[in-house]
Amino acid sequence: MKADAQALKGHLDVLLLAALEEGPRHGYAVKEVLREGSGGRFDLPTGTIYPALHRLEKAGLIAGSWSVVEGRRRRTYRLTPAGLSRLRADRGTWREFAAAVTAVLDRRPWPATT
Amino acid sequence: MAGHHLIDAYLAELAGRLPPEVVDELADGLRETWRHHLARGLGPTAAAHAAIAEFGTPAQVTDAFVADATGRRTARVLLATGPVFGACWGTSLVTARAWTWPIPVTASAAFAFALVAAVGCLAAAATSRHDYRRTRLGDLGAAGLAGLDTVMIAAVTIAAPAPVWPMAVAVPASLVRIAMTVSRLPHPLWS
Repeated sequence: MKADAQALKGHLDVLLLAALEEGPRHGYAVKEVLREGSGGRFDLPTGTIYPALHRLEKAGLIAGSWSVVEGRRRRTYRLTPAGLSRLRADRGTWREFAAAVTAVLDRRPWPATT
Repeated sequence: MAGHHLIDAYLAELAGRLPPEVVDELADGLRETWRHHLARGLGPTAAAHAAIAEFGTPAQVTDAFVADATGRRTARVLLATGPVFGACWGTSLVTARAWTWPIPVTASAAFAFALVAAVGCLAAAATSRHDYRRTRLGDLGAAGLAGLDTVMIAAVTIAAPAPVWPMAVAVPASLVRIAMTVSRLPHPLWS
């Protein structure tokens, strides 16, 4: 089952930060990390990744720089210290949230009361 | 060069909608996507079709940039908070009987015209859904509003015979708005 952009709303920022945790990447590489890391579920339109990266850059969570690769201009992004802090915080929050949801969903139904 | 006429056409359409720096970045990503599909064994045209489908339509990509545009966000914040500032300044001017101040009518008219123009720019940016260039009007309107805040503060400092209590709210509020607006104005993002 694929998750579309709407389903990822609210989670895209932390996913993008996580995709940059291992090192600098350009937009397409970030998208590929999301797709491969999710087993193909997070297969967003590539073009919609870039505005989110720009937003994170304006927020100071990632930093971009231009280079020239095979005659083309390429913009590569890396996590800033603020971005790394945000990623750690959001990761912890997500784990607590996911554990709570799982605990509720996996609980055996209580006997019905009449 | 992107390498295929379909990709060139796609980028040409984006070039009519988005800033050159953004199109350069998207061109690199689209080229990488195209190469990815070539490496999977697709022919050049099939790979171009697959890359474009994977990237999203030009309208879809543009709308995503519009939704995240700083100018649009700034405009929405300023329009939402504008009535509060208007009330503060309106109360200040009425309480201080501003119509008796030694300010030329032409200056007052110019101020009113500039205020309407700034609000118009902000409204155009705030309501933009598909036009990225319109979101840039938000930055123009925000800069204009910061300028008008500065003019108001200067006017009450120079022309008001005596301070009135609503100014104790209006002036600090405008100073905060100036600082926040200037901090959100564009900087050399794509240096």
